[in-house]
Amino acid sequence: MKRRLAFLLLCVLMVFTMLLSSCAQKPAAANEGPGVIKVGWMGSLSGDQAVWGQCEFDTVKMLIEEQNAKGGVLGMKLEAVGYDTKGDPQEAVNVAKRLTGEDKVIAILGPNSSGSAIPIAPVLEAAKTSDIATVATNPKVTVLDGKVKPYNFRVCFIDPYQGAVAAGYAAEKLNAKTAAVLYDVGDDYSQGLTQYFEEYFVKKGGKIVAKEGFKSGDVDFRPQLSKIKATNPDVIFMPYFFKEVALSANQARELDIQATLLGGDGWPSEQLISMAKDAVEGSYFVNHLDFDDPEVQDFKARYKAKYNKDVELNGYLVHDAFLMLIDAINKAGVADSQKVRDALETTKITGITGKINIGKDTHNPEGKDAAILKIVDGKYVFQQKYAAE
Amino acid sequence: MTQFLQQLINGLSIGSVYALMAVGYSLVYSIMNFSNFSHGGVIMFGAYFGYFLLAIYKLPFPIAIMVAATLTALLAVIIERIAYNPLRERKAPYLYFIISAMGASIFLENIIIATIGPTFRTYPQIFAKEPFKFGELAVGRLDALMFLGSAICLMLLIYIIEKTKIGKAIRATAYNVKASTLMGVNTGVIIIIVFALGGFLAGIAGVMFGMKYTVYPQIGSITLKSFIAAVFGGLGSLHGAVIGSVLLGVIETFTAGYFSSQYRDLIAFALLIGILIFRPMGLMGKATEDKA
Repeated sequence: MKRRLAFLLLCVLMVFTMLLSSCAQKPAAANEGPGVIKVGWMGSLSGDQAVWGQCEFDTVKMLIEEQNAKGGVLGMKLEAVGYDTKGDPQEAVNVAKRLTGEDKVIAILGPNSSGSAIPIAPVLEAAKTSDIATVATNPKVTVLDGKVKPYNFRVCFIDPYQGAVAAGYAAEKLNAKTAAVLYDVGDDYSQGLTQYFEEYFVKKGGKIVAKEGFKSGDVDFRPQLSKIKATNPDVIFMPYFFKEVALSANQARELDIQATLLGGDGWPSEQLISMAKDAVEGSYFVNHLDFDDPEVQDFKARYKAKYNKDVELNGYLVHDAFLMLIDAINKAGVADSQKVRDALETTKITGITGKINIGKDTHNPEGKDAAILKIVDGKYVFQQKYAAE
Repeated sequence: MTQFLQQLINGLSIGSVYALMAVGYSLVYSIMNFSNFSHGGVIMFGAYFGYFLLAIYKLPFPIAIMVAATLTALLAVIIERIAYNPLRERKAPYLYFIISAMGASIFLENIIIATIGPTFRTYPQIFAKEPFKFGELAVGRLDALMFLGSAICLMLLIYIIEKTKIGKAIRATAYNVKASTLMGVNTGVIIIIVFALGGFLAGIAGVMFGMKYTVYPQIGSITLKSFIAAVFGGLGSLHGAVIGSVLLGVIETFTAGYFSSQYRDLIAFALLIGILIFRPMGLMGKATEDKA
């Protein structure tokens, strides 16, 4: 009897600790009532990408506060409802169901990764609610098998473009003849960038001398890097997120690999510099914007004043996603998720990250410039705007 | 040839960290006959202790690693007192110990998530990134230190177990708890010593791991690999755990380096299953005991 009691207690304890972890991030307190438009947000508040997700959610909360101070939208107040996807696609689907079914949000901002943005499409369609992804750059987020997904939008450029920009810049501006790629085999984002980098680099007359994979969660890349070292490439393309970038860059330098490192928009983060300042010195990456652009300074200052932290890349993108949404609600003239979707399709605004002209057949912002940044003395130094044809 | 040697060095340095973690599993198993899955949590705490001592309190490295290891030794003993001792006194089946261990491990992970936060942290840079170079070969300073540090710790541990009086008592308890109690060995104290030893090494492993990679609440799950190494070498055998770990590290690196990194875990786990089929007691395990 006593033993059974102990066992039960133990089970309760385990369940409790699990609950504790899932409840760690509570949404903003809901004050129900008419005249409130709920704006949904989803993204990672725990896990490797929590730094970004937290910044996104903070930005959304700040912008909503500012908008409410200006009188809200259509005479109604806005309210943020956000949940943690834990960076897990399965969890993203649950969160999307909860936001559309339970909270009945007008639209969802986020998530911040393609892996989470792709599987939520059926939920959005069932609920007739649209989603504006922030930095989900995989083509499949908005277009599948040549058909546009009716409720998925995004505010960033896409992987083919990003991979092509990186390859073009390496071949044309850095005069690289040979390239090696290290990529995350389990991640849509990483695979997409790799594929388009390879295609474009070869088209530009370069040669891919090594292509090595790893699995997310890995912390040691030396076996793959040793293999890459033996092929002596001019550049190494690292299309994955800053934590792995920092670890693999450090390990590459420990193995005495001197090649120039190249990356995508998964790079920029304060964490990258604090972890691997020396190792990534002189590296280049493709980004959505130039952090020193005069257009972004006002937002940067407001965010810093409120949270006493620097804005991460995601903050800028979610800022523009929010602008898109407000524009669409105003155009729709009514807080109806279906009408807002229709209005989103014809978005034509200027955000802080550039011109956002949503293509009806792609739901992507068309012709958005990419910025090439170089890391010099631990700072991101803007090189040039670069567009790949 | 350079490539071969470089991969061998990579493998040895990974294997040596596995070894530090694996002996903790083996030590507890040899005495208590169950797989102490809370060990991963203790290692994670070691990494966090090291982080705070080095990054916040700015202690010199040798002192920080010793303090961190002492704290984890204490933590391991506390876990034993709270999670296992009551079960042992009631002579609960081994399954209950394993469940209790898993509970403790989830508990430790979530304490960190709830108090310190789920994001990863990085150690300040203590050793220069410049590798030692031998011709074409490059050996990271930290790797060299990790390899030497692990080797010294493991040799000390083996000395304690095989040459000292306490070690003799530990071996006697491992052989037969009842008989050694009758011979005047205080098995309660022995168990505490075993947990403290395992916890101490876990702290050192945690600090080294955190320094080499990063610190995050899920480090514990990485120690699964060292558990495999311990089973591979023969749970309960110290030499087995060390040899199993080094072999696993080298096999992993060679699979990734010469074959494909995507097959690395596949091969590591296939190896475990293979070993369990053909040599259930592991490479150097004792075949006499009843395994739980």
